[in-house]
Amino acid sequence: MNHGTSSTRREFLKTATGAAVTGVFAAPYIITSKALGDDTTPPASDRIVMGGIGIGNQGGGDQGAFLGRGDVQYVAVCDVRKKWRDGAKDRVNGRNKNSDCAAYNDFRELLARDDIDAVHIGTPDHWHAIMVIEACRAGKDAYCQKPETLTLREGPLMIAAARRYSRIVSGGSQRVREDFNNLVGPCWNGELGAIKSVNVRDFGPLSQLCNLPAQETPADIDWEMWLGPAPWQPYNSGRCDGNFGTGGNSWRSYVDYSGGSLTDWGAHLFGGATFASDVCELQPTAAVFHKADGQLGAYVTLTYPNGLEIHHRRPDQLKPEGPQIDGGKIQIHGDGVKRDPKPAPGYKGGGGIHGDFIHCVKTREKPFRDIELGVNTMVALHLLTIAYRLQRTVKWDAATQQFPGDEEAGRMVDRARRQPWFLS
Amino acid sequence: MADDAAKLDSACEALKAYNWGADKNALQPIEDAIVSTSSDAAARAALEARLIAVLESDVSRDAKDYVCRALAVIGSTASVPSLATLLAKEELSHMARFALERIPSVQAADALRAALATVSGDLKVGVLSSLGNRGDAASVTQIAAALGDADSKVAAAAAAALGSIRTPEAAKALAAAKPIAAAMSIVIDSRLACAEAFLAQGKMEDARAIYMLLVGESNPKLIRLAATRGIQTCLEQKR
Repeated sequence: MNHGTSSTRREFLKTATGAAVTGVFAAPYIITSKALGDDTTPPASDRIVMGGIGIGNQGGGDQGAFLGRGDVQYVAVCDVRKKWRDGAKDRVNGRNKNSDCAAYNDFRELLARDDIDAVHIGTPDHWHAIMVIEACRAGKDAYCQKPETLTLREGPLMIAAARRYSRIVSGGSQRVREDFNNLVGPCWNGELGAIKSVNVRDFGPLSQLCNLPAQETPADIDWEMWLGPAPWQPYNSGRCDGNFGTGGNSWRSYVDYSGGSLTDWGAHLFGGATFASDVCELQPTAAVFHKADGQLGAYVTLTYPNGLEIHHRRPDQLKPEGPQIDGGKIQIHGDGVKRDPKPAPGYKGGGGIHGDFIHCVKTREKPFRDIELGVNTMVALHLLTIAYRLQRTVKWDAATQQFPGDEEAGRMVDRARRQPWFLS
Repeated sequence: MADDAAKLDSACEALKAYNWGADKNALQPIEDAIVSTSSDAAARAALEARLIAVLESDVSRDAKDYVCRALAVIGSTASVPSLATLLAKEELSHMARFALERIPSVQAADALRAALATVSGDLKVGVLSSLGNRGDAASVTQIAAALGDADSKVAAAAAAALGSIRTPEAAKALAAAKPIAAAMSIVIDSRLACAEAFLAQGKMEDARAIYMLLVGESNPKLIRLAATRGIQTCLEQKR
């Protein structure tokens, strides 16, 4: 395979591996898993061997994107629902014109395969951290759907696992780079000057406690595995069906599995807002709660170390001095003092965010939506959530990943996982 | 105020009859009280006492589940004894930990640590993970004792907990561990986590000592690479 350089991926990986083992290769990313080869296993082909975990709904969309690529050899699917699993397996076999695709109920069996280089993860959010970390430990690169985390504690552990094992881990919001070009351009080319404030509008409710009644568990779902680390609750189709709905008939409505629309659409919109305003490598220092005032509803403002303020649904709109751009869901204002332009980062390779991931699996570059950037967005969203739930301001120390001097908020950094699942 | 108190009384009554499928809006006054008592210690203690009373009564699993969620936010040392009694109960152990893990008092950690002697299998996995999540350095000796457990899930959970605690004592226990084979990968992962913690604290020699032991040929290639990279980082930070 030609990647536009004089060496193939296999040759690059061999060189990188040898250098790393002798201690002279200091780049943060070193090697893919199976591509190493050993005495008994031949080196991998130039195609990336992939499997998918959580194949319903959005996971199915991701599968289609990866399956359609000539440089991906898709070999395995995993889902705890047989109908999704079988459908996904059939899609792969149809595409590959064989019957070789393996299908698993338990993701650990898929991760145990030595021949798989990378996985995509499209489960509900309560599984993301465990699966990403286990994938890294198994030597797999991972593309993880957003929202990448369900709790604040999960993010640093996911980043640590990716860095520890030199894995490529990409978050899964394609909208961050693709939906907000009307904002990114004027921000990065210096027209707006220094960005002073942002207002993110238009996304919905927090997730809520689920109390749906028990239904008979269908034979085609492994309910214990669907719940995994979440608190045990009886099967109800409204608890686990659906994908994007937050009106009570979808897992995304419920706090045990999701942060609700606030973290779902928030991953896109705050990802886009922080990218456009060039703070996606930072975490907020506080989430300031503004009580409802007359006709104006309550809202929260995130403050950043560089002085930027990002409001969530500020009801009185921004009416600042200086230029502003109203991009509909996101409104940005700068100080108007023109700055030197900077090139905005973009995808590497072709094929959108999925192509970016595959390109980076081959080259070991950081993907556009490197897990650390996804986690930073999620921290902002978790802080928003906690400020709304407590109906007060919370302060955040990114260095310690704690709410300094705030025991009540500190209790919301994480939650106990149901045995036998744990996070470390 | 009187109106709020009446609503809370009504919600606490509804909680006693709560079950999956019941109207959760009936519990909203409890949710409101959790928020409104944030800066009123006496009112919060009174609310906690009412919830503990429900937890100790003959109510449904769902009602106890709800109480544990609330105690995760407002629970204090006063809640610990009632929660501790649930740690050995198959259906309620997780939700007891859901609360105990988030209650900062030493008594909560003591209760979890004491439970290690009375639970086994998956319940022990859960208790070990909660001690690890709390970063409870005082539990290292008891957690380390589980590294040799014949149940690989228990041994792995013990290793993971020590990898979360990341003190020198935790690192020593991991270095000395001789777990059954299925738990070995988590032991090594936790040793790497300890080394990273030492690096972050500037304890370069301690970190390097761990990496040097993991760089050997007997370890999987992925681990050798991680250790090699760690050694490299130690060298770079020393310069």
